[in-house]
Amino acid sequence: MNSFEILYNYRADFLVGLTVTLKLCLLVWGIGLLFGFLIGYAGSKFKYSVGLPSKIISFILGGIPVLVFLFWLHYPFQFWLGVVIDGFYTAVAALSVINTFLVADIVRTALNNFPNQYILAAEVCGLDKKTIYRKIQLPIIIRQILPGILFTQVAMLQSTLFASLISVEEIFRVCQRINSSIYKPVEIYSALAILFLMICLPINGIGYWIKKKYSRDFSEN
Amino acid sequence: MISCENLVKFYLDKKVIDNVSFSVKPGEILVATGPSGAGKSTLLRLASLIENPNQGIIRIDDKEFKFDSKNQQKVREQFPKLGVVFQNLFLWPHLTNRENILLPHTTINTQEANEFDNLISMFGIGEFIDKYPNQCSLGQRQRVALVRAFLLNPKYLFLDEITSSLDIEQIGILLNYLIVLRNKGVGIFLITHFLKFAKIAADQILFLENGNIIEYGKKDILITPKTERLKSFISGLDNIII
Repeated sequence: MNSFEILYNYRADFLVGLTVTLKLCLLVWGIGLLFGFLIGYAGSKFKYSVGLPSKIISFILGGIPVLVFLFWLHYPFQFWLGVVIDGFYTAVAALSVINTFLVADIVRTALNNFPNQYILAAEVCGLDKKTIYRKIQLPIIIRQILPGILFTQVAMLQSTLFASLISVEEIFRVCQRINSSIYKPVEIYSALAILFLMICLPINGIGYWIKKKYSRDFSEN
Repeated sequence: MISCENLVKFYLDKKVIDNVSFSVKPGEILVATGPSGAGKSTLLRLASLIENPNQGIIRIDDKEFKFDSKNQQKVREQFPKLGVVFQNLFLWPHLTNRENILLPHTTINTQEANEFDNLISMFGIGEFIDKYPNQCSLGQRQRVALVRAFLLNPKYLFLDEITSSLDIEQIGILLNYLIVLRNKGVGIFLITHFLKFAKIAADQILFLENGNIIEYGKKDILITPKTERLKSFISGLDNIII
């Protein structure tokens, strides 16, 4: 059996695993982007009360491997609280927290480093605050943060594989289960790689297209 | 009329503008010149209300703005009656040159459309009007920034080193247009090192050094300077030994 035959023969299992992975991923993306933008924006407005703590948290989270954070949330934290939470939701929580602070970091940095001279030029031209925000700040900032945000979201998709280690029936765990019954590791994990490529390539493609269309090189000679 | 009285500006502990007073009447061109670091650009930023002086009074027609340590509130409502072309231009990099010029105009009437076409052809920017600023040379960007400011029909114009990257032909076109604006009653505050340009364009000259006015008066002072410092400044090129 080659990788494609495995994909075909076990399509029902793969579909279940893929659905869980995508559900997990969509939640992590949605929560991370929403709260990341909010915290990032608030962090740029309130540099000390929000910006500094969020910077510290993202610095700490950046130093902890995803797997360790996931395990810590799943075992000691839940034991300490005296609760048992489904692995899927633990994974959503862990990855969303990481995504939120990574996105917040990107947004806050872009807002803080926004070149004020462009706002000044707009004020001098008599533009009102709303127009300055819509036509000057937002487009420049989106172009700046887009590559970083897309890279982070692809990294989050790949990090969902760790959820298998806390018994979430996502795609990697499905592969492990199939492998334990037919023992064809090369073919199975190649099939997984193909599946991930099928998901990641379009995302990267969209990212590349958006980047090419909207994030031109602004540097002046 | 724009009148500035006893302007003082500190950057950290350094006094960069020291008790400077001057005025620009409608239909008058004031040229500020002086060595690099004299405080010319700072003075322009203060007079155009981009930055607040630490102390002093700025009157723009019937409005008076008094600044001291207690009052440092940003004043923005005078724009775009006050037009500014910055030394670093600050064109918006994500917009084409056309969008840069037209963004401040939500709607454009026939007269403005004609004026736009007229300026585009006068400054020869039609060829690169739909390019982005970073796809243009500095001289081309400078012309776009000028047209952006001119099209807003300001009553007073502040121009910081706007001839620095223009060729002789373009400088001539600009000079002619500034004279047209002056004749229409626009008051112009202009910084330049190009003394020939100053001699032709200026009604008044303000020579600044270390944040102090060394000489201030009619443009004749460039021909018969009263101070040794201005005399030595304008004869700079004569002293070069080849």
